[in-house]
Amino acid sequence: MGPWRPIALSGLLFAVLTLPAASQTAPPSPASGPGTARPTADQPRFQAQTAPRVTRPPPQRQPEPGAQGGAPQGGIDWKSAVTGARRSEGDQALLGKIDRDAIDRTAVPILLPADPALTGNARLYSFGDYYSLTADLSGVGVSLTGTTTTVTLPAQSPLKMSADAPEQLVIQRTVDGQLASFVRFGVLYTVEVRCDDPKDVRCRNDGLVRQIQSQTNRVVMGQAARQAAGLGARP
Amino acid sequence: MIRRTLPLLAVLVLTLGVTACGDKKPAAPSTPASPAQPAGPGEPVAENAGDGGSEQLPDEPLPTDPVDPVASPQPTPPSPPVPIDFAHNEAGSLIPGSGSGYLDRTVWSPQMCFPFEETAYANSQVHGPGGYKGPAGTSQCNAAAYSLPWRDNFCETRGYASPLCANGKGHQGQDIRPATCKKGVHWVVAAEAGTITDIGSYSVTLTGSAAPHRVYRYLHLQMSTLSVAEGANVARGARLGRASNDFGSTPTTIHMHFELRAGVAGVSTDGKPVMVHTFLPPYLSLVESYRRKINGGSCS
Repeated sequence: MGPWRPIALSGLLFAVLTLPAASQTAPPSPASGPGTARPTADQPRFQAQTAPRVTRPPPQRQPEPGAQGGAPQGGIDWKSAVTGARRSEGDQALLGKIDRDAIDRTAVPILLPADPALTGNARLYSFGDYYSLTADLSGVGVSLTGTTTTVTLPAQSPLKMSADAPEQLVIQRTVDGQLASFVRFGVLYTVEVRCDDPKDVRCRNDGLVRQIQSQTNRVVMGQAARQAAGLGARP
Repeated sequence: MIRRTLPLLAVLVLTLGVTACGDKKPAAPSTPASPAQPAGPGEPVAENAGDGGSEQLPDEPLPTDPVDPVASPQPTPPSPPVPIDFAHNEAGSLIPGSGSGYLDRTVWSPQMCFPFEETAYANSQVHGPGGYKGPAGTSQCNAAAYSLPWRDNFCETRGYASPLCANGKGHQGQDIRPATCKKGVHWVVAAEAGTITDIGSYSVTLTGSAAPHRVYRYLHLQMSTLSVAEGANVARGARLGRASNDFGSTPTTIHMHFELRAGVAGVSTDGKPVMVHTFLPPYLSLVESYRRKINGGSCS
């Protein structure tokens, strides 16, 4: 018997005797917070798959620093945005029931369509540097967003689009509608329509989304936007 | 009597000694007994990590052979657990003949929660079993559609605009089959904390609270039994609804079409800087999140 075997046996005995104590210091199992993935009796239990990978691809890349939320180059053209907001001051009726607190929390100029039928029942969700306005037409959902945050594509991955369209307007046909993306005041905006019936002609062609986008020219600036623009809190 | 009592006394002494040892507080982090690996918050800290493994965790192997104290004064540290992996094809490797995949390997939502509560199978619902361009005579419930390996289908041939795809058009998301070929059973969960900013007739839109405010779209859920309403603020991993085949008046196969969108800054094909709100490939974010899930990661 070598000199280390008794020590190893002692270690084993020690480990066995102290196991309950050690288990008390183990980290608690993850709490079951809202939405925690936790199978219940009526659900199949998650089965871990241990089969080997089919391939061994090259290492995955994390986005470049700053690629996950940078501001647009050049920042916001506040001068043009303020001019637009002043021109829109007579259109307060467009605000309808839109949450004024959400407007005030939004630090980018909010674009609204000049159609009370769209804005009258709209709901605004503000994330500060991003907003999403949701409205309804008969059988069609309409969303408008604006943001100053973008992710940056790798240089070797160009976007298959033209940079020459006015305001970089791009219309993208989606599974359930049409998505217009454009840049104004240095802010990235969208107008999107979604049809309850995927065969609805209003979503199969881009006529409706272009119509709404072309009339989305009213500018609203709440408190956060006005402060960012160097203005007072209220006009 | 004495012979009977002595062993009992020896055991008692040993037990008391061990208990006393157990009462010792761990050494201060600034004076480790040996160069142990730093432990993160909540991780078990090994006392006297260099004393031959006396505090090894129960699932770690104990040394069984004598060790030369001169040649190897420190025990070999236990190998870190090998992460469980799962079979999946490379990003951009589409079913042959179904288009050209997107090959860049950026993980666009690195901390994403896997959007199914259980296991699920990423593949093509068009070119796979039961799809209208899939193998002839197969059912959508064919076992091949509900087994590994996963398959990317972002940029799969479609008429839809998708500026990251090779010809500017292609599938804008990833098709994912739930754990079984049953609709209205398997929970779909929030990919990150955010707000439900829209609910369509067969779509749920989740906007992430944190920049860059990724937009996740979940299509073909069972809309009559959703767990959320528009305007709801949801935690990462919160239940949204159950996978189904809702698609207007004409049902699709049982699957969830999962989209990842964001504002994107890049260059156009002619080298000019552009910004667009568009579709990002979700496949690698799904792979990473699923890998975390099968290794015990929690979304909460």
